[in-house]
Amino acid sequence: MSLLDSALGAQFLFVLAAVVAAVAGPPAYRNRLCGSLSAALGLSAALAGASVLGGSTTTWSLAHPLGAGLGPLAPLTLAPDRLGGFFLLVVGFVGAVASVFGIGYAHGAAASRTAWTAYPLFLFGMQLVPAAGDVVTFLVGWEVMALASTVLVLADQAQRARVRSAGLWYAVMTHLSFALLAAGFAVLASEAGSTRFADIAGMPVGEGTAGVAFVLLTLGFVTKAGLVPVHVWLPRAHPEAPSHVSAVMSAAMVKMGVYGVLLTVTRLLPDAGRWWGLALLALALPSALYGILQASVASDLKRLLAYSTTENVGLILTAVAVSMLTRHTGTADVSQVALVAALLLVASHAAFKTVLFLAAGAVLSATGERDLDRMGGLAGGMPVTAAAFGVAALGAAALPVTSGFVAEWVLLQSLIHGDVRTDRLTTALLPAVVAVVALTAGLALLTFVKAFGIAFLARARSEGAALAHEVSRSMRAALILGAAAVFGLGLFPGVSASAAVAALGDGTVPRGPSGLSVVLPVGLGGLQLPTLGALLDPTSLLVLGALLTVPVVAISWALARTIPRRAVDLQWGCGGVRVSPRMQYTATSFAEPLVRVFGDTLRPTQQLHVERAKESRFVVVGASYRQRVGDVIEDRVYRPAARWLGRVGDAARRVQNGSIHRYLAFSFAALVALLVVVVR
Amino acid sequence: MSVLRLAKTILRIGRMAEPAPDAPSETPVGDAALTGSVQVRHVDAGSCNGCEIEVGAVFGPVYDAERYGARLVASPRHADALLVTGVVTHNMLQPLIRTVEATPKPRVVIAVGDCARDCGVFKGGYGVAGAVSDVVDVDLEVPGCPPTPDDIMTALRRVTRQ
Repeated sequence: MSLLDSALGAQFLFVLAAVVAAVAGPPAYRNRLCGSLSAALGLSAALAGASVLGGSTTTWSLAHPLGAGLGPLAPLTLAPDRLGGFFLLVVGFVGAVASVFGIGYAHGAAASRTAWTAYPLFLFGMQLVPAAGDVVTFLVGWEVMALASTVLVLADQAQRARVRSAGLWYAVMTHLSFALLAAGFAVLASEAGSTRFADIAGMPVGEGTAGVAFVLLTLGFVTKAGLVPVHVWLPRAHPEAPSHVSAVMSAAMVKMGVYGVLLTVTRLLPDAGRWWGLALLALALPSALYGILQASVASDLKRLLAYSTTENVGLILTAVAVSMLTRHTGTADVSQVALVAALLLVASHAAFKTVLFLAAGAVLSATGERDLDRMGGLAGGMPVTAAAFGVAALGAAALPVTSGFVAEWVLLQSLIHGDVRTDRLTTALLPAVVAVVALTAGLALLTFVKAFGIAFLARARSEGAALAHEVSRSMRAALILGAAAVFGLGLFPGVSASAAVAALGDGTVPRGPSGLSVVLPVGLGGLQLPTLGALLDPTSLLVLGALLTVPVVAISWALARTIPRRAVDLQWGCGGVRVSPRMQYTATSFAEPLVRVFGDTLRPTQQLHVERAKESRFVVVGASYRQRVGDVIEDRVYRPAARWLGRVGDAARRVQNGSIHRYLAFSFAALVALLVVVVR
Repeated sequence: MSVLRLAKTILRIGRMAEPAPDAPSETPVGDAALTGSVQVRHVDAGSCNGCEIEVGAVFGPVYDAERYGARLVASPRHADALLVTGVVTHNMLQPLIRTVEATPKPRVVIAVGDCARDCGVFKGGYGVAGAVSDVVDVDLEVPGCPPTPDDIMTALRRVTRQ
């Protein structure tokens, strides 16, 4: 039995053990037991993924234990390929870190029997998806993931009414996605006469059929991935779910959408039509921009992170779209680098978004606040959380030496070098993509400066924030582990990029069409893109930078020691005593210029109410200001659609009015109609 | 103004500052660490603006206090020394005290002009809380109504030790 087989088998073992522990285990130890078993579940998936990337293969048939007679559902197989292995690794790691966090974090409804039963099932379903070797297993895994996560989103529904609405939105969107996927796979499976991915991949598909399947599958997958305009469930479900679940949903589950798109366009339907790339780009690029724009003006920390997920998935699928566009325009080298960029973005986003959501959870458990405008000064009470959030924020803002920087660097390299004169449209399009990606990066920087600065620096804006103290040991361990991953991916991009290339290749030494390797490791874990002539070696640069700066800093410090320390008696309040926390910037005021600049897109509604004295209207007694930045797409598309559906439902009530006589008449009419059809 | 025009103007006008007089013979004031670099915050505690004109002249091109290492800054948090002018009015009493307290120690407080020293012509006015030394510790006083730029300069040079 190989390592891969044992790791796959361990998953089944651990999920079973975790569910049993949740149902039958003593409540006092439930968090510890289920959390540890779920972490082991995640780790075994990561191990399986790593060994698949290392070259092992296996095929598991699940039909045997279930017995024959599955009919059209057979064969149920687990056959992770290299791409699946990469996603297994990412998903497993995220699941493990979030589970460790959950041990200390889960309380109340999130620590209930239901929630701890659903959580390992959620992880397990998510790990089935990239390991699936056929359509049915894929869809079963997908549905287990969707249902279990719905249960988890609804965990707190008894406490807060908003959770119920979020759960409804999520359930509707996720089943819309499922329906689209089932339809898309049905088209492919009926064409191939088999549900195995290997059979579908080897079969030539007509252009029209391929197009239909591509549209259905892509729409289904991007609904899960949270692209505009099907992103609406993200900013609702992520904030309302318990934070360790939000972390898994945002960092790992939406990646299943990305995996699905990659599975479709690289394996199942490799001969993409030219418009496919354009269609995907038209979805992905506005998502990146809109997502980060909404994130930059959000003041609910978890909502901000949810919108940032839309942005990152937008960037990932932009990379995929660019890869599809450049594949047939004589720049296949660029196409491969763009795919590497997509996978690096996946790994990077998984790492930093896990930490961000977990840190948001830590803040929530320490202060009871999710609203940035009521946080502040948390770095003093929660140094570990603050440091972890800071590191992850650097990653999200794509600053060196973090994972985000490496990933966006590779993406920009592929975009800049995609400029060839053979295809006018691509040549004209790519500079615009560069511009949008650059704007996205700038807004991301602003967003995370806001998130970190307002939450962790300055002074507390509420009592909860003032009394905040550091979270428990398991939560800190998860945060440190995730932050280490953010740094690790940023410091040694050669390693992660080699893994990405291995995930895309077929096991042979990966070479671009020009005969050069797509990626070469260089220096201290650095990364070289020989086909594009680009080089990045963060660790060497860091060592060099340290060699230059350390002497300067040391000398300055030694010299500064001769100058006496200056003490200040009073904080400066411009001559007055105005050092109240309300004087500080808030998240809303920090984002105000953006709301103004992008007012046409964000459509904020503002209310200013000024209360004047009775004696004179020139004397102001008090003023209140409210601002709401809604989601334009939700307000303009979904709400009218929901209203229309409601009207249709109301109209249908005239036919179905609850009268038993009428229903009997309906049955009779149906019977008569049936007889007429059969007899004729 | 373009760089070229600026260069031409500099060439045409040449050096405007008066020749530097000898360093003051009086004992220096304030911490020795401030030698050659004193950041000065100016506080108008209730002045008639006569002293301000002279202070402005000190930092202008003719007297040019910056060549001795004194420089005006915009906040007491950046300052080593405070240059207080005028009588202390009731409205400026608390702000003055807070400004002094918000200046990092070791600090130097210079009272400029007769009003700052002993209320001058405003002595006994209903809006006057007192002289600067009644309210905060003063390290150096510059007499005159208004004091000449040379006097103010001498006081500043005792702090910068240049």
